[in-house]
Amino acid sequence: MAETGRVAGTPAALAAQVTTFAGRLRRRHGFLIGPGEVRDALRALELVDLLSRRELRGALRAVLTAGPEQGRLFDLEFNAFFRAGGQPQPELPPLLPETPAPAEPDPDGDPPDKPDREQGDPDTRPEQAPSPQAGSDPGGDLPDGEALQDGQDSEEGAEQDAPVMQARVSPNAATGEALRVDAGDLGGLLRAATGLIRALELGRARRLRPLPRGSKLDSRRTLHAAARTAGDAVLLRWLGRPRRAPRFLLVLDGSRSMGRDGALLLRFAQALHLRSRRVEVYAFSTGLTRLTPLIRGAAPGQPLALPDLGDAWGGGTRIGENLLRLARDERGRVNRDTVVLILSDGLDTGDPALVGRALRDLRRRSAGVVWLSPLAATPGYRPVQRAIAAALPHLDALLPAGGPEDLHALGRRLRAARLTRGAAVASPDPGGVRS
Amino acid sequence: MIPAVKDLQAAFQARGYVTGDALATALRLVVGLGKPLLLEGPAGVGKTEAAKTLADVLGTRLIRLQCYEGLDAQSALYEWNYARQLLHLRAAELRGEAASDGLYGETFLMPRPLLQAIREPRSAVLLIDEIDRADDAFEAFLLELLAEWQITVPELGTLAAVSRPHVILTSNRSRELSDALRRRCLYHWTEYPSRAQELQIVLSRLPGINETLARQVTDAVHALRALPLGKTPGVAETLDWAAALVSLHADHLDAESLHATLGAVLKLREDQLLAAPTLQGVAAQAQARG
Repeated sequence: MAETGRVAGTPAALAAQVTTFAGRLRRRHGFLIGPGEVRDALRALELVDLLSRRELRGALRAVLTAGPEQGRLFDLEFNAFFRAGGQPQPELPPLLPETPAPAEPDPDGDPPDKPDREQGDPDTRPEQAPSPQAGSDPGGDLPDGEALQDGQDSEEGAEQDAPVMQARVSPNAATGEALRVDAGDLGGLLRAATGLIRALELGRARRLRPLPRGSKLDSRRTLHAAARTAGDAVLLRWLGRPRRAPRFLLVLDGSRSMGRDGALLLRFAQALHLRSRRVEVYAFSTGLTRLTPLIRGAAPGQPLALPDLGDAWGGGTRIGENLLRLARDERGRVNRDTVVLILSDGLDTGDPALVGRALRDLRRRSAGVVWLSPLAATPGYRPVQRAIAAALPHLDALLPAGGPEDLHALGRRLRAARLTRGAAVASPDPGGVRS
Repeated sequence: MIPAVKDLQAAFQARGYVTGDALATALRLVVGLGKPLLLEGPAGVGKTEAAKTLADVLGTRLIRLQCYEGLDAQSALYEWNYARQLLHLRAAELRGEAASDGLYGETFLMPRPLLQAIREPRSAVLLIDEIDRADDAFEAFLLELLAEWQITVPELGTLAAVSRPHVILTSNRSRELSDALRRRCLYHWTEYPSRAQELQIVLSRLPGINETLARQVTDAVHALRALPLGKTPGVAETLDWAAALVSLHADHLDAESLHATLGAVLKLREDQLLAAPTLQGVAAQAQARG
């Protein structure tokens, strides 16, 4: 292949191509590329041997990508773009005679297969080629919003098991009805929330901070104080490690199959918010919505009135896509003090592999990922739902959430799960094998 | 004079570091663009070694900052020499001078790696190792340094960079780095080398090794990497293993030498058990050929 072939006639033409290429990476794949990156890419062109395609690719990859998952997309796009000679979207098939590809590359250095590809069906043009691949590829970005909601709701109703409750909780997409959740036993839920917060011992921060009492002498401040007392360190200042307060990220499955449990967990989210200000709440069904402002605005003890949540409540379930979107788009909300609580029954219609990827991502950046499942409360429960099975290797705990009593036990169970975490990791995981 | 990518690659090769085109190009850009390079990849693929070799090739100093959880600006930037300051205060008191005069002068300043790096007369190579182990606050602080190339010491004022170091950050991805840091850096993902590359690495690092043994070792390591191990062996393990076999005067891999040196390449009990059938196959194959 034209690994050493020229990729453009003149430096100016190449610069224009690189700019177009950068724009395409940003538009199609959401790469974080701004004017600064484009400028660096253009400067990089002056530093490498432009006659070598590999050097050019290496330089652009170093400047334009920012993570391992972007590398593959970059290579795909680079090959498609520069093989096609950098023409963004050829409007017309080139007027070439219907002859087989020439044996040697033409003077522009285009690979010999170019005429073939461009004469073919417009869909197989190099410009088009990467798109379907990137879309169906789990490594790619999420498909567009429409793709998530394209009328798959109908068959999902089959698996829900509480038809009576469904009528109450599910405003059901088209109606646009507001969601109303009864206040219920707020006191009990508050106690459960307190228990949960107490159970999460994240230990102390590693970083030393000035504290009135601490474990380490703060030499700098002590000396500063000593300067006033002629070098006698009369007043000692201390450094210590403050406690790490947990943050919570709650992800509620609002799909029809969750029924009454969804409403209970929503109230639990509210109670948790009243106990700790550092709570973020999201709901998803086929789409994902941030509920934090609504929960924040709700009056305690009153029935929780939420506006129509659209595709985030009462529809089907797309756990993987929504968790992945959460992990990607809301990554700023997850840090090492964050405990991610996912409240879902795991009855999913999406691709279970996405669930695994999303949770691996979330777990790597959080203090822990806990899955609460109403189904896990039923006797003889086994985590065989596809989404749960895919999730299991990446969870710190899978706990039941069948009713208020399960929520009360949450803190205690979480503490127990923490203790056995080492053992759970060491034993071969059935979930991993199944998925 | 900045070497071209090809020359840089050759210079690395001459020092026993085999680079692919992409890494050589990225390192070339670090020198040329003056941007930091973020190297990510599994443990033991030679990320740290790349920075060391770069310093060697450019003939400048390597300044290394090893990150750890709880690393703060004090230990990365500068520290005051408190004992000396205290003595200074006492002495001033005895002489009846104003105590705080010159208390925060340069004589009491102890530069730490980051301050050292920007005060080098010639651009040094600054290796910020395992940045993923430091916390978000340190990362934010680092961003400021990498953007402004100056350091503010409250008591002393702003210290501008004398020279801009060539910065290489490494990460094992134990924590996701912020997008802001990623954007500020060039990026290169370091993968395990190909079989041929790894053989070349072994041969150039261990000049005394018998080529048959080197080939068998790299083949075995590649077979091991295909397994779902808890700790996949890196290039460092390959080299350790080969060195261990050389020191046992083994000229080829057999069941006995394999058993004796397995700890150099597989460092978890579970991994050793998991890999046992594969390794038996490797030994049998080696014996059949030898």
